Amino acid sequence: MSLAAAFTRHRELLLNLTGRELKLRYRGSALGFLWSVLIPLFMALIYVVFLRLLGGRGVPLADIIIGVFAWQFTVQCVNAGLTSITGNANLVKKVYFPRVILPLSATLANGATYAMSLLVQFPLVAILFHVSGASFSPWIALLPVVLLVHLVFNLALALLLAALNVVVRDAQHLVGILLSAWFFVSPVMYNLDFVARHAEAHPWVPALFLLNPLTIIITGYRSVITAGTAFPAEPMTFLTLAAIGLFFLFAYRLFQRLQKDFADLL
Amino acid sequence: MNPAIEIENLGKSYRLRGVAKASIRDLLVRGWKREQAELFWALREVSFNVPRGASVGVVGPNGSGKSSLLGLIAGTITPTTGAVRTHGSISSLLELGAGFHPDLSGRENVFLNAAVLGIPREDVARRMDHIIEFSGLRDFIDMPVKNYSSGMYVRLGFAVAVEMNPDILLVDEVLAVGDLAFQMKCFDRIRDFQKRGKTILLVTHDLVAVEQFCDELKLIHHGRLVAQGNPSDVILTYLKTYMARIGNLNVEEHGTREVEFTDVRLRDESGAETGTFITGRRLVVEIRYRAHRRVEQAVFGFSLKTGNGFFIYGTNTQIMNVPVPPLEGEGTVRLALDPLSLMEGKYFLSLAIHSWDHATQYHRREDWYPFAVKNPGTAHGVFQLPCAWTIAPG
Repeated sequence: MSLAAAFTRHRELLLNLTGRELKLRYRGSALGFLWSVLIPLFMALIYVVFLRLLGGRGVPLADIIIGVFAWQFTVQCVNAGLTSITGNANLVKKVYFPRVILPLSATLANGATYAMSLLVQFPLVAILFHVSGASFSPWIALLPVVLLVHLVFNLALALLLAALNVVVRDAQHLVGILLSAWFFVSPVMYNLDFVARHAEAHPWVPALFLLNPLTIIITGYRSVITAGTAFPAEPMTFLTLAAIGLFFLFAYRLFQRLQKDFADLL
Repeated sequence: MNPAIEIENLGKSYRLRGVAKASIRDLLVRGWKREQAELFWALREVSFNVPRGASVGVVGPNGSGKSSLLGLIAGTITPTTGAVRTHGSISSLLELGAGFHPDLSGRENVFLNAAVLGIPREDVARRMDHIIEFSGLRDFIDMPVKNYSSGMYVRLGFAVAVEMNPDILLVDEVLAVGDLAFQMKCFDRIRDFQKRGKTILLVTHDLVAVEQFCDELKLIHHGRLVAQGNPSDVILTYLKTYMARIGNLNVEEHGTREVEFTDVRLRDESGAETGTFITGRRLVVEIRYRAHRRVEQAVFGFSLKTGNGFFIYGTNTQIMNVPVPPLEGEGTVRLALDPLSLMEGKYFLSLAIHSWDHATQYHRREDWYPFAVKNPGTAHGVFQLPCAWTIAPG
């Protein structure tokens, strides 16, 4: 069963499961969807305060907001992906349908939340631009491309972790640690200029950053939104973009190979 | 035409240790290399076909591999050996309420569950009223299902599952849930499926239901197909071979054996030994006993239960004032049920020899002798009661 077939033949189930994720996420909470915006905003606030204290000024507030929202999308997909099979053991053991639908619907639900949170993020960024005198880039038309790359990358993570967590339950503990490390090596609360400025003596450091898919994705967002933010169009960047594609294929293959044992292992 | 289900050399094994909880530590210690773990074969070398439109029952003791078989046919479990081929859409009643989410309302869950079973949304919307009607949950349909009772949960699940209108219906023991009225509704739906030429595979411990619904039975034991064919024959084989606790029946023997049964035969009016009797004819139980010491004032007793373990009649020589001489050595006792007033069904005969004050059981064989009764008439029930109508118009 290919991914495309899962999309067409089981569209109904995919939509229903995605709807279920969205409906359940904030059911019973007073603020509901607002949390999807409030959490990254609070995070941004905290980072801004501490970063200013520790590292001085230099990173535009808009960059931090863009970075934190994007980071939050990946974190949500990682967490939802991890439990997408183990948390639906009942379904997996009792009914046959392409298992790939579970991590896929978890990722899509988060994609929908992220898209909605962007509707709040943009006015906020517009206000910040107005205050700081920056402006939107004409490249903003390319935003869907960045979103697509981000979505594919997150889906790959969700597929990989969903399958691994069934086979090796340690995955969910390990992921928690790796996420916090990943947060600091990704330009979420800083940007590539900040890296370049602090690593003038070691020009290979910024290149190293480009090996991180999230660097490419977050910088991608910043450069299509903010006028004057350059996209690092270097060979390393394209290498990493190709690696995202390969990573997706690998994660999908691995998931398909492991899925036949899911019912036995749950 | 293809059979609905083709099963070929089907096997499923589980590793006894280390399969469920792999951890990083295990991987580091053992490496990825698969050790020669002990295998447990839940199902082994099973081959059979289910013809289109047939109703086939699967029986066997607990843990015999029945549910694995259904899981393999439904596609949720991957076979270790062999293959299952199915032709037509499958709906399995093994997943009643699977994927119901506690925080969603009954109505929301119906849409979700239907999607899981592959029913298009428009169909569900159209049949929503019908589903709610069948489940009998009209007043509760917009309540989160976490507040449902387990019976309500299953009723809603069944209502959705039967709406799917599949070509092949897999039923796993689910009919035991729900109250009697709902069970009747379920059985009606299953009969309806049969009439429309759908294929049914029924796994159950309810031997009465299995005999009522199925054209053919498969008996599975220790993962292997050990008997198949005509339901009555397979049920008798099952009961005789694997006499264990079956539902409300308790097949066992005990006693001091000071007097013991040596040979018991069930004969019809011609004296022929048989397992099937006719309502209104004669049933004779011929009991050979041996007394190992002289026993005075012994009592012979018998009792009958229906196929589902319901006690229907019991008496003994003491109650009926039949004098029993002191028992010494061997002898024969004959118990005649003439005319046999039992109606069609499966029954279990228990026999006992005990002391006059019930203080000592010499030998008791509980639910030991199964037999079937066929009724040429069309009345229903367990007993044929003597009855007469008097009608006076005006």
